[in-house]
Amino acid sequence: MKLKFYFFIIVVFSCVAFCAEQISYFNPPEHFPQPAYNFSDNPLTKAKIELGRALFYDPILSSDNTISCASCHSPYNAFAHTDHDLSHGINDEIGTRNAPALFNLAWHKTFMWDGAINHLDMQALAPISHPKEMNESLKNVVGKLQNKNIYPSLFYQAFQDSIITGEHILKALSQFQLTLVSATSKYDEVKKELTQFSQQEKNGYLLFQKNCNSCHTEPLFSNQSFANNGLPIDTTLNDFGKWMVTKQSGDSLKFKIPTLRNLNFTHPYMHDGRFRKLNQVLNHYTKGISQSPTLAPELKNPIELTSNEKTDLIAFLLTLNDKKFVFDQKHQFPR
Amino acid sequence: MKFYNIFILLLFSIISFAQPSHEVIEFKLSINHHYINVGEKHFTHATSDSISFDVIRFYISNVQFFYEEEFISSLEKKHHLVDLENPESLKINLGKNAQLDFNKIKFDLGIDSLTNVSGAFGGDLDPTNGMYWTWQSGYINFKLEGVTPSCPARKNSFQFHLGGYQSPFSNVQAVELDIADEKNIIIELPIDLLLEKINLTETYKIMSPNQPAVDLTKLIASLFSIAK
Repeated sequence: MKLKFYFFIIVVFSCVAFCAEQISYFNPPEHFPQPAYNFSDNPLTKAKIELGRALFYDPILSSDNTISCASCHSPYNAFAHTDHDLSHGINDEIGTRNAPALFNLAWHKTFMWDGAINHLDMQALAPISHPKEMNESLKNVVGKLQNKNIYPSLFYQAFQDSIITGEHILKALSQFQLTLVSATSKYDEVKKELTQFSQQEKNGYLLFQKNCNSCHTEPLFSNQSFANNGLPIDTTLNDFGKWMVTKQSGDSLKFKIPTLRNLNFTHPYMHDGRFRKLNQVLNHYTKGISQSPTLAPELKNPIELTSNEKTDLIAFLLTLNDKKFVFDQKHQFPR
Repeated sequence: MKFYNIFILLLFSIISFAQPSHEVIEFKLSINHHYINVGEKHFTHATSDSISFDVIRFYISNVQFFYEEEFISSLEKKHHLVDLENPESLKINLGKNAQLDFNKIKFDLGIDSLTNVSGAFGGDLDPTNGMYWTWQSGYINFKLEGVTPSCPARKNSFQFHLGGYQSPFSNVQAVELDIADEKNIIIELPIDLLLEKINLTETYKIMSPNQPAVDLTKLIASLFSIAK
């Protein structure tokens, strides 16, 4: 009986220790919803996160060892690529879409502008293999890492196995990316009642809730679904978004609704980076909507905003910038 | 006492001889009833032409054993990658199921949708096996690549990457086979019958989840048979 009791205590303590470790690496604030990522399939550990971080910043993932994940997802740009409308990969190749910012990925159920990827673990396969991005195969990456002296021991520390596998590379990359949580903007501080909006920001917040929140839903500022936001087709790209994946006519011109957090760091905007400034974006929604059968119902009638209201709305959007996250040492190049 | 022991032993050995004992499931990838070898030239009656195969690789999932429609047992390992290039992979050891009495086997050709949306796995499901799409999530259930002079594609190569887990192009296919008392179960996939149904001079490339992929996978699933 006594033995059973001790056993019970040990089990309880190890559970508590395990949970505590999870919380310390991934601790979103209370105003955030439950994440979509199933952490029990890939429990966070320090060794795995650090391995993922090393891989994220290592150009060894590309065929000529020049392009790393961070080449297009720079920590100083909230893991997007400022000033590049379309992604810029190996041999100066230019892709067809804007490199999205990487943060709060634990809440995403789909990835890519067209939703082609269904799980964070599988996401890295796409840029690694794309001929215009890293032009490499995961199988080759396994071979290169196995022969680079630091990696077998890093994999051993992380997975208790120095034989490197595709699964372990992908899971480690997920671990690092899961720790990229942006939840310390002024908006978040207001939600935590640590500070208050200015009058202008408050006005902007009300305008946001009235006109934007149905798609760019708080607190992640995206409802993670797909929509046609009325952008006229760029005939140099002919990108039909989600239709390219599903071939269902109802998905034509639908793109993943991006978050509005960290807009200061992630310009230019839209799936093809066509807008450099926030006021261009607002002007699109007030007078640039192109009608088509799959247009989001919320945009059938143009959004009406006076120029003062636009200024207020932008003031609110700037409260979503999260400098603390962007300049957080623990997400940057490992030293 | 000693005599009694020997008697028991004798009785057991008789019982074990009487019981059918299937030890291994072996996959025979064949053309005109001959084993296919990677890269080797074979003959296809379909186009009266030579043909060689570089890749034949597919997933067998959820192997289950039945006796007269009654479920008996299932293989512990859920997904098995059969790869022409890897002779080891052509055999599935039945392990503890070897002693069971069954006369029907059911399995799925391909990977179920839940596994498809559950992130990275290792072993037979590791994306380095070349059976996972990179531009779009999802396992390739069946991969067939080769060369035949009458195929009009570049370098006369045909390529079929059949997969898809999402409606309406979900294409995991159920297979059901009756088996007799053979010690080793040999499941044959006669590629010559497949070549008779698809015309490689017209259809030689399917590499996305779509209706032709579903139709072709259904056809392949119907071709599995127990080799006599």
